[in-house]
Amino acid sequence: MYMQLMLFSVYRKAVMSWFYLSIAVIFEVAVGLFASKAKGFTHAWWTVATLASGAIATFFLGLALLSFDVGVGYAIWTSVAGVGIVIVGALFLGQRLDWKKTLGILIVIGGVVGLQLSGSA
Amino acid sequence: MTTTSTTNPKISRSWLVLLLAGAFEVGYALSVGGSEGFTVLGWSVSAFIFFLLTLYSLSVALKHIDVGIGYAVWAGIGAVGAALFGPLFFQESLTPARGIWLAVIIGGLVWLKLADSPKIRSRKTVAGSRSVRPDATTSLPG
Repeated sequence: MYMQLMLFSVYRKAVMSWFYLSIAVIFEVAVGLFASKAKGFTHAWWTVATLASGAIATFFLGLALLSFDVGVGYAIWTSVAGVGIVIVGALFLGQRLDWKKTLGILIVIGGVVGLQLSGSA
Repeated sequence: MTTTSTTNPKISRSWLVLLLAGAFEVGYALSVGGSEGFTVLGWSVSAFIFFLLTLYSLSVALKHIDVGIGYAVWAGIGAVGAALFGPLFFQESLTPARGIWLAVIIGGLVWLKLADSPKIRSRKTVAGSRSVRPDATTSLPG
């Protein structure tokens, strides 16, 4: 009985940290979209949305990184957000990228993932 | 380098602002790290200021740069800067493996800048020759 309770608690913690990380990714994608819409903070509501999304993304990333390894969590966060932003840019802003730009984005994001996974110690 | 006659000043300026946004992002990352969960006042204030600066300059840059490119460059510079400056402020070190990944990121950033240069864009428009308007090569999306 105690084992079952402990397993449930470990399982719930893992589910929660993935949930926090997902929220952090969604709001990071929103930061990209809203910052684009805010046109250099000349549109008030998009500006508010950008700042709020940035704060929420940071907050939930912080929560997720309490249980994830920092490098791994950060690598997943930036890479999924980076790809998500390309998709959102194509869907909502009509920004279709050619293969050269797509390759460049993949190299940069791949490099960030590699950097984060290779640790800082 | 492209010649100045073919470089669109709006794009060039946007890339400069984007580099600045990346630099502010580095300041933000280092400040958040130093604030230890926003418990150290000085670093927390610095994090808040860099937070505003980095998002403002990102928003300015994204007026003329596609969001997918802008975000990758912004995050890429942030990661490179944090890896380079981290060892100066905190108990971190730069290993050879991390050095190689830094080179990959920087290579990707240069590639992206070149792929986003208006020269390539205008050559594409000419090659496609779908438009005969004289301003076709200088018009930009957004």
